[in-house]
Amino acid sequence: MGSRWSPYDNNGGTCVAIAGSDYCVIAADTRMSTGYSILTRDYSKICKLADKAVMASSGFQADVRALQKNLAAKHLAYQHQHNKQMSCPAMAHLLSNTLYYKRFFPYYSFNVLGGLDNEGKGCVFTYDAVGSYERVGYSTQGSGSSLIMPVLDNQLKSPSPLLLPAKDAVTPLSESDAVDLVKDVFASATERDIYTGDAVEIVVINAKGIRRESIDLRKD
Amino acid sequence: MRYPYVTGTSVIGIKYKDGILLAADMGGSYGSTLRYKSVERIKAIGKHSLLGASGEISDFQEILRYLDELILYDNMWDDDNSLGPKEVHNYLNRIMYNRRNKFNPLWNTLVLGGVKNGKKYLGMVSMIGVHFEDDHVATGFGNHLARPILRDEWREDLSFEEAVKLLEKCMCVCLLRDRSSINKFQIAKITEEGVTISQPYALKTNWELSAFKNPSKGAEGTW
Amino acid sequence: MSKATVELPPKGGFNFDLCRRNDMLTKNGVHAPSFLKTGTTIVGLVFQDGVVLGADTRATEGPIVADKNCEKIHYMAPNIYCCGAGTAADTENVTDMISSQLLLHRYATGRESRVVTALTLLKTHLFGYQGHVSAALVLGGVDITGPHLHTIYPHGSTDTLPFATMGSGSLAAMAIFESKYREGLTFNLVYCAFVEIPQRDEGVKLVTEAICSGIFNDLGSGSNVDVCVITKGKVEYLRNHQKPNPRTYISSKGFSFLKGQTEVLSTKVTLLEKPQQEEGVDKMEE
Repeated sequence: MGSRWSPYDNNGGTCVAIAGSDYCVIAADTRMSTGYSILTRDYSKICKLADKAVMASSGFQADVRALQKNLAAKHLAYQHQHNKQMSCPAMAHLLSNTLYYKRFFPYYSFNVLGGLDNEGKGCVFTYDAVGSYERVGYSTQGSGSSLIMPVLDNQLKSPSPLLLPAKDAVTPLSESDAVDLVKDVFASATERDIYTGDAVEIVVINAKGIRRESIDLRKD
Repeated sequence: MRYPYVTGTSVIGIKYKDGILLAADMGGSYGSTLRYKSVERIKAIGKHSLLGASGEISDFQEILRYLDELILYDNMWDDDNSLGPKEVHNYLNRIMYNRRNKFNPLWNTLVLGGVKNGKKYLGMVSMIGVHFEDDHVATGFGNHLARPILRDEWREDLSFEEAVKLLEKCMCVCLLRDRSSINKFQIAKITEEGVTISQPYALKTNWELSAFKNPSKGAEGTW
Repeated sequence: MSKATVELPPKGGFNFDLCRRNDMLTKNGVHAPSFLKTGTTIVGLVFQDGVVLGADTRATEGPIVADKNCEKIHYMAPNIYCCGAGTAADTENVTDMISSQLLLHRYATGRESRVVTALTLLKTHLFGYQGHVSAALVLGGVDITGPHLHTIYPHGSTDTLPFATMGSGSLAAMAIFESKYREGLTFNLVYCAFVEIPQRDEGVKLVTEAICSGIFNDLGSGSNVDVCVITKGKVEYLRNHQKPNPRTYISSKGFSFLKGQTEVLSTKVTLLEKPQQEEGVDKMEE
């Protein structure tokens, strides 16, 4: 047995989300690992929280799962009270509160939340493990994020948040170009990050609904 | 923090054509001492599930008590409905995660297999609550030694005989390379028809490689 | 500077001058930089008339792949090669140093190097450094006494084996060897017995399988398979014998990286003052 017991583990994985003017792309790889070994090659890190809110999470799988269940329960209660689905910005705030509630024994989970806002525009929210969050045009989290973020910054240049008056953060890409970019950055991250690989699952949300697709990645 | 006393090593589980097979040896290690040699680490849970455990034996027996209670209360409904492997796995996931949240984990990695309504199910939970399903799973050393073989050779349509052969191959590698394993196994089967757990038996090993006879022959000076 | 003794340049070996300082720094929370590790699968196997060595080609630095196609099978002598796992610098340098000692020994004796000689030199070197030179090696070669395969651990212990694996992928690779290694079972008339030793092609196939097992099951190993077959008087170094991991997706449109991706908020240009040329001072010569 190991030297000291730890309540946490890192099960790896990378998540990406991109918001467009009328769509949102959320993607994550499907590898779940611990240390230097792979636990399974086919584990979905993407969770549909509401009709227009989808979350991708990496980090410690048990915490991620507990978080997903917690949000699902709260969303069910919300539906009973208000007889409607929660909006993506509302879910974003709920997620933040849920994470901060465990500030002193955090959910070790790194999330991006994507969906459509009340105007039907794509939105992405990015988090840290204890609930600090921000609405952005695109984001990435997890083990390969440091490899992917600079590429997204370059390709999807978002206007500086310091500019006044504030400019829209959604990316100028078309939906198919965004999906193509996501596939390419995952293939690239897989080349250099040992915890990313096996396959990438891509979820696209637009006015028509939710669509899922997946492509293979390197398995080494 | 509580650390384990008597532990069992790897459990391996695979899906095959008609159901699920689980294999585990019967050793109980007290540190590095082989203390017990007839520990049953695979048990039937209700009508549709099989549970295999590695790690602390006493914690496993405690888990069996929880499950006995769960199954009993489920039976008391007497509604011709019973908990399937998915439900039992979910229950175990919550138990394990709950105990890790209390910083008082049940020191086990559990493998849960089962068949209900024609659906095969095979999953795993670790002591900190990490859980997943797969076509084949293995705990501890098994994840390093057996799963590479399973990833190469496992197929969905394995017959019972082929599946047993594959499991024995994996157990043999674990026996040769995991110091806390012993050559006394049980293989358990679960199908739509029910559970069968084999009598303990041993595997044949081969120590007749000529290279083992006199390793330094022709290379004098090695020591 | 009026020193009584003149500092002599070191004769050779490691320089330990800063050990005490580094120790102090670590105690105060300044940590040494990490090294390039070849979180690795390396293997070797003895077949009928030689040895086969194998290695993956991934070098890692923490969770990042530092080199996707590095070489881990090092040259020791014309008839001896050595796979290295552990800290990349240690495996490269230790094999290089011993390789040069073997060459000098060949010049002195005029005889082909023996595998035991390489083994002894490596293990005494590693033992001397008590595990601080972190090289885990699989040494293989064919000499006058036949084919030999050894493993050497960082602390200097060695093993003589019919098949061997090392590195973070050693368990994945060993699983393949333990379940598939058979000694050929080709009937040999000279010994009037079943001599159980695999043939060359079988050996290469098994080594490749073992390395692939490491590549696909161990995150520290990856990319391609290198193989080296050593037989009496012949070496086949099969660099990138298999390439089982091509990139899975390339954007058809490609990428353009435009300048000015960072927002310019304001611009201010300050001209440098012209340097004054002092009179009567010679210009520096070119």
